Amino acid sequence: MRATVGTFAALAVALGLLAGCTATPAAPPVAPVPEATPSAAPAPLPTAEVEVPRVKSALDLNQVAPSVAPQRIRVESLGIDMSIDPVGLAEDGSMALPSNPAVAAWYRFGPGPTSPSGATIVAAHVDSLVYDIGPFARLATAPAGTEIILTTEGGRESRYTVDSIQTVAKTDVPWAEVFDRAGPARLTLVTCGGEFDYDARRYLSNVIVSATPIP
Amino acid sequence: MVGEGVSLTGVNHSQNPKQEETMHKSLKFGMTAGALGALVALGGIAPAQAASDVAMLSVLHGVPGLTVDVYVNDKLTLDDFKPGDLAGPLELAPGTYTVAITASDAVDASAPAIGPVDLPLEAGKNYTAAAHLTADGKPTATLFTNDISQLAAGEGRLTVRHVAAAPAVDVLANGAAAITNLVNPAESVLTLPAGTISAAVAATGTTDPVIGPADVNVAEGTNTIVYAWGSLADKNLALAVQTIDGLHSDPGSINAGEAGLVATNQPFESTGLWVGGFAALLMGLGAATVLGLRRAGARR
Repeated sequence: MRATVGTFAALAVALGLLAGCTATPAAPPVAPVPEATPSAAPAPLPTAEVEVPRVKSALDLNQVAPSVAPQRIRVESLGIDMSIDPVGLAEDGSMALPSNPAVAAWYRFGPGPTSPSGATIVAAHVDSLVYDIGPFARLATAPAGTEIILTTEGGRESRYTVDSIQTVAKTDVPWAEVFDRAGPARLTLVTCGGEFDYDARRYLSNVIVSATPIP
Repeated sequence: MVGEGVSLTGVNHSQNPKQEETMHKSLKFGMTAGALGALVALGGIAPAQAASDVAMLSVLHGVPGLTVDVYVNDKLTLDDFKPGDLAGPLELAPGTYTVAITASDAVDASAPAIGPVDLPLEAGKNYTAAAHLTADGKPTATLFTNDISQLAAGEGRLTVRHVAAAPAVDVLANGAAAITNLVNPAESVLTLPAGTISAAVAATGTTDPVIGPADVNVAEGTNTIVYAWGSLADKNLALAVQTIDGLHSDPGSINAGEAGLVATNQPFESTGLWVGGFAALLMGLGAATVLGLRRAGARR
C-alpha cells in the first residue's frame, strides 16, 4: 500500500512538473490556475472532484500510538545478546547511553520495532575504561546479510538483515537522517569506531549499521 | 498562553466576481492518490516545491448531528462530511479561500448553513478550520493557526481548543488544573515533557469532569491538538484530536566509546612515540598508560 501511494505521489509530482514546464515555464512554484469553465447543467447533487483524506477524530481513534520498546538485541552470528534500556538525551544533547557497553540503548522518542515508519535507533558504547570492549565492537566487521533480532515485550521478535555498515566521521554524520522518523521502517545500530583521539579520549567516527526488516 | 482563535462568523463575503476568480486558487491535496486526481481534474497544477511555499489546511467538523458538504471557492471539496470527522491536510497555494458549509443535500454553495467565510492562508503556516457551535449553541466556523515550531527533544506540545456549546472550562491534567478559564473559541498551548496524561474538562473553577478523564498521549515532537466539542445542554460533549508530527529535534551526536580499545590508530602515532599494541597498554604494562588511564578516569 505504501508503495502504491509512493508511486502515485511520484507520478503526481512528475506530471505536475511536466505540466509546469510545458504550459507555464516561468510560473511561480505554486501558481494559481484559472477556474475551469463550468460545463453543462449541474447534476442534481454534485460530487467532490478529489478525495480528501479523512479520519475519525475521536480521542481513542486518532492519537499517536506510543512506540513499542525493544528490550533485547541478538546477533547470533556475532555472539551478541544484550538487553536494551530506553533512553533520551544526555545533558550535552547527545543520545544518552548506559556506561556499560554490554547494555544497549534505544532512543525512546523515535520509532520502535513495530512502528510503521522511520528508523529504530539502538546504540551502545564500543568500549569502556571500566568494562573493557563491548559486544558492539563486532559490528564493524559484520557482513551484509547478517541477521539481527529485536525482542519486544511478550517475546515478540522483529528480524532484520544488515544492508550496510559505514564508518562515518562524527562531524559528517547526518543526524537528522539517522534519527529519521519518516521513510521505510528500518533498524539502525550505532556505536563508535575508527581512529581514536587519545588526548580527548573519544573516537573520531561512528560505526552505523543499516538494516531492513525481514517480512 | 491563551490565544484567541480568529472567529470568522459574520465576515462579509465579497460578491465581486473578478475578485472571486482570483481567489480560485489551485487546490492540491497532499501526497496521496488524490493528488493525481486533482491534477487530472484541474489540469496541471505545479507541485509544491517545499512546505514553506504552501499553506496546510485541515478541516474539523464539530457540529453534532449535522452531515454537511464543504465548498471551497464554490467547488464541492468535502461531500457528506460527518460530525467528528477530520479532513486533510490540504496543501494549498497561499491566498484567501472562501468556505461555505451547506446541508449535505444542497446542490451548490448558494445557501450555506455556515459561512461563507474567507480564510486568509499564508505560506508556510498550518491551519485548522473548525465548524463548531458557539458557546450558546449556534453553528459557526473558526480558523485556528496550528503551532508547528520545532520542539526540544523530549518535549511535546498540547493545544486545547474550546469549540463546544458550553461556558468557560478548566482543563485538568492528572487531576490538577493545567488550563483555566478557557472560553469558546479560544485555545491554550502548553509545552510538556512527552508522555501520556490523564485529561479532563470541567466547568471553570470546578474539578468535576464534564468530559473525561481520558488518556492523551502528548507525543514527543508532535503538536497534539485536542478539541472539546459538542453541546453541554445536549449532553454530547466529546474530545476530538488532531496531531501534527515532525516537530521534533534530534540528538546532536552519539558518543559511544571512551577507551580507544578498538581504535584503528595507535597512541602517539603521529608523534612517532609508538609504544606498543594498545591491548598491551590496557594490561597496565606501561607506566604512562596507567597514568593516562587514571587521568582519563578522573575526567569522567
